[in-house]
Amino acid sequence: MAETATREFLHNLHELPHTVKDACFRLGKTPESEREESQATFHNLFLHIHSVRVHVRTLKPTLTFGLGLMATASFVITIITGVLLMVYYKPSTDLAYQSIKDIHFTVSTGRFIRNIHRWAAQLMVLTVLLHMARVFFTASYKKPREFNWLAGLGLLVITLALSFTGYLLPWDQLAYWAITIGSNIANSPRELTDAIGITKFFDPGGFQKRLLLGANYVGQDALIRFYVLHVFILPLALVTLLGVHFWRIRKDGGLAKPEDPMGGLAEWGGERRAVFQPLATKTYGLMALVKGKRPPVNRGPENTVMSWPHLFWAELSVFMVTVAVTLILSFYYDAPLKELANPAIPENPAKAPWYFLGIQELVSYSAFTGGLLIPVIVVVGLALIPFLDRRPGGEGTWFGTRSERAVFWQSFFFALAVTVGMLAFTVNYGWLRNWFPNIHQLWIIAINPGSLLVLIFAVWSLFILKRKDSVRLAAVSLFTCFLVGFTILTYFATVHRGPNWHFYWWPSQWPVH
Amino acid sequence: MKDPSRIYRCLLLVASLVTVGYLVGAAVHENYLAQWKVVQHQYQDILRQKATDDRGRELLAKFRVEMKQASIPALGAVDRCVTCHNGIDDPRMTDVEQPHRTHPGHILDKHPVDRFGCTVCHHGQGAALTFREAKADDVFWDYPLLPPEMTEATCVTCHDAEKLPPDQIPLLTAGMKLYQQKSCGSCHKLGGRGGALGPALDNEGAKTKHQLIMTSLRPPHTTWNWQLAHFRDPGGVVPDSQMRNPTVTQREALALAVYMLSQWKRDIPESYLAPDKIEQKYRALHPTPLTGEQVYQQYCNACHGNGSYSRWDKKFKRFVPAIRGVSLVSTATREYLQANIEQGRPGTQMPAWGPHAGGLLPDEITGVIEYLRAGAPTAPAMTALTLRGDPSHGLSLFLRNCAGCHGMNGRGGLAPEIGNPVFQRAATDEFIIGTIRNGRVGTAMPAFQRPEAPTLGDQDIADVLAYLRTLGEQKGRNAIAQNVTLSAPPGGRP
Repeated sequence: MAETATREFLHNLHELPHTVKDACFRLGKTPESEREESQATFHNLFLHIHSVRVHVRTLKPTLTFGLGLMATASFVITIITGVLLMVYYKPSTDLAYQSIKDIHFTVSTGRFIRNIHRWAAQLMVLTVLLHMARVFFTASYKKPREFNWLAGLGLLVITLALSFTGYLLPWDQLAYWAITIGSNIANSPRELTDAIGITKFFDPGGFQKRLLLGANYVGQDALIRFYVLHVFILPLALVTLLGVHFWRIRKDGGLAKPEDPMGGLAEWGGERRAVFQPLATKTYGLMALVKGKRPPVNRGPENTVMSWPHLFWAELSVFMVTVAVTLILSFYYDAPLKELANPAIPENPAKAPWYFLGIQELVSYSAFTGGLLIPVIVVVGLALIPFLDRRPGGEGTWFGTRSERAVFWQSFFFALAVTVGMLAFTVNYGWLRNWFPNIHQLWIIAINPGSLLVLIFAVWSLFILKRKDSVRLAAVSLFTCFLVGFTILTYFATVHRGPNWHFYWWPSQWPVH
Repeated sequence: MKDPSRIYRCLLLVASLVTVGYLVGAAVHENYLAQWKVVQHQYQDILRQKATDDRGRELLAKFRVEMKQASIPALGAVDRCVTCHNGIDDPRMTDVEQPHRTHPGHILDKHPVDRFGCTVCHHGQGAALTFREAKADDVFWDYPLLPPEMTEATCVTCHDAEKLPPDQIPLLTAGMKLYQQKSCGSCHKLGGRGGALGPALDNEGAKTKHQLIMTSLRPPHTTWNWQLAHFRDPGGVVPDSQMRNPTVTQREALALAVYMLSQWKRDIPESYLAPDKIEQKYRALHPTPLTGEQVYQQYCNACHGNGSYSRWDKKFKRFVPAIRGVSLVSTATREYLQANIEQGRPGTQMPAWGPHAGGLLPDEITGVIEYLRAGAPTAPAMTALTLRGDPSHGLSLFLRNCAGCHGMNGRGGLAPEIGNPVFQRAATDEFIIGTIRNGRVGTAMPAFQRPEAPTLGDQDIADVLAYLRTLGEQKGRNAIAQNVTLSAPPGGRP
């Protein structure tokens, strides 16, 4: 008896590598049949969020350009590098700057890792914005994807907040003054409450600022708040919402596609044949999805391919492209680190991160309108899109419905002309305060280049609504105007605004410091 | 059916190769090409060549290629300069190339690196591990490396410059003397003493490049370079600068720049301060009065010159009066001079010099008045006029004879402003009458009552006086307001 147990023990010990491997990789080999491929997909926690088969259109590069996936990949990169940075970073006003310097100079590959973190974060903001534009222009927000559009909007806001909170952590001049600007934007309702004289009783601006900074100035309290938001609260929120976002993609039927994307035909056995169309009302179960020895439900031509390996190749390649791009950028361009934060020496110009510069340009006209009112209008407007444009059609196709492309280009050039014209006018002739020095601030809050732009875009969109008699086209015109306006304002504030927020053709013309 | 994921596999291959390539590149760059590692291997070779005796062999055996640093929390310094400057405390390294060479002089004997670090004297970015970033000329760092000859500026962080041997700090000593000789104190405050036209210089060395106008400065855009260039040509560096060109040689400019860089109230732990530095702080609270002549040289000379002649100043756009001119000091009373010095001349560039303004001690003001009046003939007996003046006739006489230089309403122009409140309060009737009668020798002010051909009679003078006295009330308020704007120092930042 004892002998048998010993033998069994030794046998198990001998088999240990195999049994452990089998336990970890249940399939135990590269999948060979479609049945095994599907098992590989749905037996894995991380892969099972995908369907086992995907439509061939999903794999078409020009449908999505992999933008959402790139944003996710950038996020994964920032998480990994961010954890590494956390090991050395000290969130204290006395130590933060020195710890970043140490990461730069003495931590092995510390500079490289910080650069990757920085570039991945920039790439994430950029790809999230482009991803939103892609989803809009392929009409992928329409029923049943309205909720996922909202989730995406939430992810956009969290992404911006993550990037913004990370800005303060190095505690250098750039950080300090950018956050000072940011907190003043939070304070901007005061412009309105001051103008109507109720700040003493009702001060949402001051409350927001104190909530953000934990004090009336940017100091240790603000640093800790931003740190906690940056490394804990916001990533947690983002991961949670990202899970919802992915899950909804699956539940809403994968990437948006037209009713019958390929005319009901598919290539099969060298000829085009009609595709089996699963009925929405009937449950097919796994059998419907897998080819094998059991009675096939849809043996014949189809427009789907196995997710394993095709979709996973695609996803992995997009991930690696993102990694490669951030590595190249990080190798050649260092993340900025200016002088130690010094409240006595203001940066001039103190500029917010690039994605907030459009807002900062608007803030330079009116803090309340530009910093709060217009961003809120934009976010609410974006959120309402899928609920106001409810007529199906054009899903999953770039500029899918009739004359969408024409409206896009018309709106593009219209917004271009209006925004550039407005900026040129403002730079050359000033605004109300220059003409009527004693004018009441309320007038400026109400009428400024920012509010006028919003008004003109709204009127243009209503004009398209009437003229083309299509809600979708009105939405396209408004979204295009927003996109063009945002881009031009961002560019203008980045390149053409210098010390004291004056206009310069190039940064090289600034009085050098 | 065409393989739908072929393009992605190609893309994956390319992206993976790029990724691996850059990772390997970064690893090589980090581990083998790091500047400090290359330097330390060179130093190891030098050690090997010089390992001719036991001591040399021991040093060679002890040497490790590793990052080295002097961490001095008390000075807020983590200086890694010694990572590359390995030979600074090895006396054998006098004949090798930088960065391996021995530190010059015997400074390290009393200032060991592990107690003082490097940047407290040399500035620069101590934490950096490449020379470009350590020198910090064109990186984001507030205090770039000082050129070797200017490093003496930082001795005064812990020492009293006047107690150090002058041959150790030649430029700083010369700079201190030049500051007095060039009468910089006429316009700038230092230690609470000096004029108000220019910015106070107490923390000039602590300024960063962002507080100085660098537009027309040739690189490097550093504070030390700014100081150097600025002393050669103030107006060329700071547009609209009121500062007159100090006309200095290159070496004098260097000395002044060093002196300016030494002005830095750094918070240094007391254990680092030399005893004389503590005494210096005590002395500053209990200053010894300067003599009248010293005060004049240090605080008056820049504008008034030697004081014998009045002078048209292009930058001030006004006449600077001859305050040691015979005719002034013979007519002006002590009280008149004292009032003008202590309270200044509102509306002009002349600041107030009283203890709470320019910081001159009462004894020093007395001294400088003595100095101004020295050598003047005994004041002639001044005759008061008992005649009653008629201001309206005075006005017409004033317009005809005086307004050309003294301006409408006496607001000044070529000649001093005589409507301002300090003048009106301090100038006695006798003083004004005497001045009109006898003029001002050495200035453009003529005598209006020469014995051979009097321009104005006694009654006329009384009328003009009566008119002048009406100016006091009109001008008082505006002039004070004007002075406030004038005396605001031109901001450091554009």
